[in-house]
Amino acid sequence: MIVVEKVSKKFQLSRKQKREMRSRTNQNAIWAVSGVSFTCQPGRIFSLLGPNGAGKTTALRMIATMLIPTEGSISVCGYHTVNNSREVRRKIGFLTGNTGLYARLTPEELVKYYARLNRMDTTVFEKRKSELFDLLDIHDFANRRIGKLSSGMKQKVSIARTMIHDPEVVVFDEPTVGLDVITSRSIIQLIKNCKEQGKTVILSTHIMGEVSLLSDDLAIIHNGRLLYNNSFENFKLRLSASTVEDEFIRIIEEAPGNTRTASGPNKED
Amino acid sequence: MGNILTILRKELLDTFRDRRTLIVMIVIPLLLFPIMLNVATRISARQQKKAEIKILNLGLISRDNAPTFKDIVRDHKDIRIIEDIQEDRIPDLIQNGRLDFVLVFEPDFDVKIAQKQAARVHFFYKSSRETDISKKRIINLLSSFEDQLVSERFLALKLDKSITDAFQIQNHDVASIKQKIGEVIGGFLPYIFVIFCFTGAMYPAIDLGAGEKERGTIETLLTSPANRFHIVMGKFIVILLAGITSAVVSVLGLYFSIRLSKDIPPELMDSLLKIIDYQSIALVFSLLIPLCIFFAGLLLSISIFAHSFKEAQSMMTPLNILVIFPVFVGLFPGIELNTTTAMIPVLNVSLATKEIISGTIEFKLLLLVYLSLFVIAAISLFFCVKWFQREQVIFRSN
Repeated sequence: MIVVEKVSKKFQLSRKQKREMRSRTNQNAIWAVSGVSFTCQPGRIFSLLGPNGAGKTTALRMIATMLIPTEGSISVCGYHTVNNSREVRRKIGFLTGNTGLYARLTPEELVKYYARLNRMDTTVFEKRKSELFDLLDIHDFANRRIGKLSSGMKQKVSIARTMIHDPEVVVFDEPTVGLDVITSRSIIQLIKNCKEQGKTVILSTHIMGEVSLLSDDLAIIHNGRLLYNNSFENFKLRLSASTVEDEFIRIIEEAPGNTRTASGPNKED
Repeated sequence: MGNILTILRKELLDTFRDRRTLIVMIVIPLLLFPIMLNVATRISARQQKKAEIKILNLGLISRDNAPTFKDIVRDHKDIRIIEDIQEDRIPDLIQNGRLDFVLVFEPDFDVKIAQKQAARVHFFYKSSRETDISKKRIINLLSSFEDQLVSERFLALKLDKSITDAFQIQNHDVASIKQKIGEVIGGFLPYIFVIFCFTGAMYPAIDLGAGEKERGTIETLLTSPANRFHIVMGKFIVILLAGITSAVVSVLGLYFSIRLSKDIPPELMDSLLKIIDYQSIALVFSLLIPLCIFFAGLLLSISIFAHSFKEAQSMMTPLNILVIFPVFVGLFPGIELNTTTAMIPVLNVSLATKEIISGTIEFKLLLLVYLSLFVIAAISLFFCVKWFQREQVIFRSN
């Protein structure tokens, strides 16, 4: 389970960024996420929907302990992301569409590396690896350098790497971006499997088809603020004659003035 | 500690599979000096031999003076005398290569010699490194002609030629061979290992920092249970080992190139091998370790800051010059290891190496060098660890 409570994240602007933004604002910092709260339940897929630059990746990075929230708190499986960050990381699997892999390692070496970092017992690792390699059909290229694999094969290795320690929480940050249809389908299947296994799944995307197909719960984020947070069933009730995409655009367009300043997450310029 | 070892093991495997890193870290340091030394000595020897055996075209305007000199020259089959030349065309004839040298005896040359005065000969040549060797051959001929004339004058005066030697200087250099050769080798050695320590660490540093960011692998590593200290230490140790390996290999390359060289006289070779004792080697390498720590911390910090491989490379390349400058200063005359220079990183390594190899290092100054190096190495490592923990650095956006 993931509990996000009134979380905000402020980034200091670099000199270059300030120069670029001078025409629009005098601020020294920007709030990428402002006062966001939501809960992701085990066995359900929580979709975080928003346009580019909405704050989705920042929110996910805070959940995965890569970034520390400026305000608010996050807990993953009962562990606080700042005070118990290592325990949180043990519980998490993180997959993005543009995740890179170590080209000079083999899939076998790569999953072993992450298993070691997760302190997996050798017997447990071998069993888990065998299951994953069977499921993803990796055995044939398990000992070939990753740099020489096709993008589809690489994505399979990425999945194996994410799931090797059997995480309770899986974070997908735009997992299908830039991937072909076949590879995307394997990712979507993985997300469904995670749900069936009772894992907590959080999916960040801006692809409406994926949202409709996978979501149990939905949050819409724009300019760092949560504009909608409810079950996907309830969201569908709002649609009437419109599509998910139409409703999403309507919510974004109806959002109140949302320019943020360095003075606080909820204050306007 | 377990995570540091896991990361270290993986990064070592990854680094040793990178052909570019291996070339910069091992192949170039190992082969560069043997190849350079071999090629340079061969070219130099060939040029010397060519200049020594070349048949010289010597223009001669004697105006019937100095017949004895002509006889001396005629005895040398490798010098061809050309007499029918116009004086105003001498520079052109030398510039276009028709003549190598021209000697012009002044019209009253023989008269002045007969009157026991200083006569004059004009020597025309085109200076270059190649003609220097040939020029010596003509000067030797003139010198033997002059010796002959001076001996005749002494004979006429019934004096012994040695009367001009009021006293003789007998040189007694108390510097040992170790000190003399040690100063040369000790001055040159830091050039090699400082450069290679830096360049050898540079590529792994770029790959493990900026390269990891560029490939997008940093995110997954940061979501693993390894904390940032473990990650940075694992990477740091690999870069440190790469720097040390490169420096050691470069010195080994130099050692083998000297051992395998056929142009070094056996006596000099014996002296060289005698002065490089195990204690000196151990002391020099003990300086190398804190220096490599400093470089590794510095390079990893820059690499972590850079967005891409290319940016990291362009940030680090100018540092090569900054790093080599103190070593260069260490070769200036009058710059010696003292309490001030012992505190200046890199320069202190250069000066201390010179004194260690010469066997003149003072223990107190050596301690100061270690102190300075370990302080800067600790600062560099501390900064690197802190830097890696900053979100603004790890997720620095364009």
